[in-house]
Amino acid sequence: MLWFFHLPEFWKALLSSLVALLTLAGIMTRPFRWNEARIAMGGAGVLLLLGLISPADALFTLIRDWNTFLFFLGMMALSALAETANLFDWLGIQAARFAGESATRLFLNVFLLGTLISMLFSNDATALILTPIVYVLVTKLRLPVLPYLFACTFIADSASFLLPISNPINIIILSRHPLALLTFLRLLFLPSVVVVGINIGIFLLLYRERLQGTFDGARLSSPEKAIKHKAYFRYTCCVLTLVAPAYVAASALQFPLSVVAVAGAVLLLAGALHWNRASLLEASKGISWSIFGFIAGMFIVVRTVEQTGLTTKLGNLLLRLSGGTNFGAIMVGTAGAALGTNLINNVPMAVLMNSVLASIHNAPLGIRQGFIAATMFGCDLGPNLTTVGSLATVLWLLILRHRNVDVSGLDYFKVGVIVTPLMLFAGALTMWLLL
Amino acid sequence: MRILCCLDGTNAEQIGRVGEMLSATQPLTLGLLHVIDSRPRKDIDLIRERFLRAPLHPPHRPPPGPPPHHAPPPAPPPHHIREEEMSEAERASAQEILNEGRRYFAAAEALEREGRPELEIVNLAAEWRADLVVVCSRAAYQKRREIGPKSVGHVARFVLDHAPCPVLLLRPLARELFPIER
Repeated sequence: MLWFFHLPEFWKALLSSLVALLTLAGIMTRPFRWNEARIAMGGAGVLLLLGLISPADALFTLIRDWNTFLFFLGMMALSALAETANLFDWLGIQAARFAGESATRLFLNVFLLGTLISMLFSNDATALILTPIVYVLVTKLRLPVLPYLFACTFIADSASFLLPISNPINIIILSRHPLALLTFLRLLFLPSVVVVGINIGIFLLLYRERLQGTFDGARLSSPEKAIKHKAYFRYTCCVLTLVAPAYVAASALQFPLSVVAVAGAVLLLAGALHWNRASLLEASKGISWSIFGFIAGMFIVVRTVEQTGLTTKLGNLLLRLSGGTNFGAIMVGTAGAALGTNLINNVPMAVLMNSVLASIHNAPLGIRQGFIAATMFGCDLGPNLTTVGSLATVLWLLILRHRNVDVSGLDYFKVGVIVTPLMLFAGALTMWLLL
Repeated sequence: MRILCCLDGTNAEQIGRVGEMLSATQPLTLGLLHVIDSRPRKDIDLIRERFLRAPLHPPHRPPPGPPPHHAPPPAPPPHHIREEEMSEAERASAQEILNEGRRYFAAAEALEREGRPELEIVNLAAEWRADLVVVCSRAAYQKRREIGPKSVGHVARFVLDHAPCPVLLLRPLARELFPIER
């Protein structure tokens, strides 16, 4: 509509900010249980309709971030196809067998398996695929379910910055602010190990009483029984054995990781079609298509805000808050990203921080790298505070509980409040020592 | 006398002993109840929602009309297969727990429910017209605090507070912890 009027820059900035704020508020509160994708795309649509961003600019923004979209596609397809091969079921049974009938050792193995899956398949795979598998396993073994579910859910995020591919958030940020693989590993690998260690340690302490028993190993089915099609399973293992080093090599050579993920998924899909394990339609059902709308909408909304200069101001504010020191950059970056991710979800926060980070490109290298690493760290680990959604979701759950309405998810929040601030602080401190 | 015995998967023997004691005095009608806790499933759905995925428990919607006979049924998406596996594991485990209870009370009525255990117990106690509910203070896979403020778990505590009939709370023997300091 505003295409027909000449609007002063101030009003344009005000309107853009208002639409962006409403979009973020919508994502936080999700009125009428609307899907986040619908809200983000609605916000982008309003901005386009009002002429606050040109279609060409919006298209350019989306094309510029092709690596992110493609990575999401490849990552989700890879996990879904590996699930079709029953790889995760097989790994779950192996984890139980190696536990030697001890509930505590099984708990530890679930953590280790979750770490491995998050590292190579991203946190989505651990949270979405491993969790139900572990639920089935511990139900069959007649063990208390809750500690194991918590282990899966928390480790998904705690182990999601071991490698660039361990969380799609990393790809969103690295696509615009590339870090050499060695720099990434130097800054984030050891903090990740520290965070995983703290997570395991605190959980063992919290659940020590419930995990003292043993289970009957005879209740476990054999790993071979979990595999529905041996040839496709072996083929999947071979493909993943190639994909894992390819990820590392691509990260080292700054080659787009999305290409590796999609290539791996295509190879798995070819195998699935060949052995009739999944059709194209079935494979597509394992992908959350709304995520693309969510990211696309957020990219356009944040791009519009970027044009108003607001994100530059936010970048300057962060720099001032950091006091121009590496320590400040790490702490402010971590706290800001973690807090924001709990307010508005980690995808919008990462997209927003991408734009903010672009405005501090003149800062010294240490501070810049500190902010980039801390942003990934905060956005990846932050969701563990309110695992079941944003702070708004938790507040809503608390209100419901106050009204004696049956709610779930609050137990996650109670544990998250204990463990997450500690992990954030210890990880940030380690990162600072390594910067 | 109608007695509702709550089985949690770890207490069949304990409840069995009590049942034998009670049945020596008068004829009993026994109900063995096991509740599949639905909360972990709801939590899993919340996590899925965070990752923008459909819940494993899809809301029930009646089909709009009779299904066409010629069209083959669509293949279920992977998360529906997981949903089936989870339900199957829950049902198998519940059956096993009820069968363990039947070892002590062959003629007892087996009652299986799904939901929040504490709510299902008190509601069924009323519906089944129980004269007594037998419940253990805590599941035994947990190291027990035999006495003290945390010795009664939240399920038993809720049943004590809300049951429509007398409740028999089974606690572990803890004579060695006495006397309590006066």
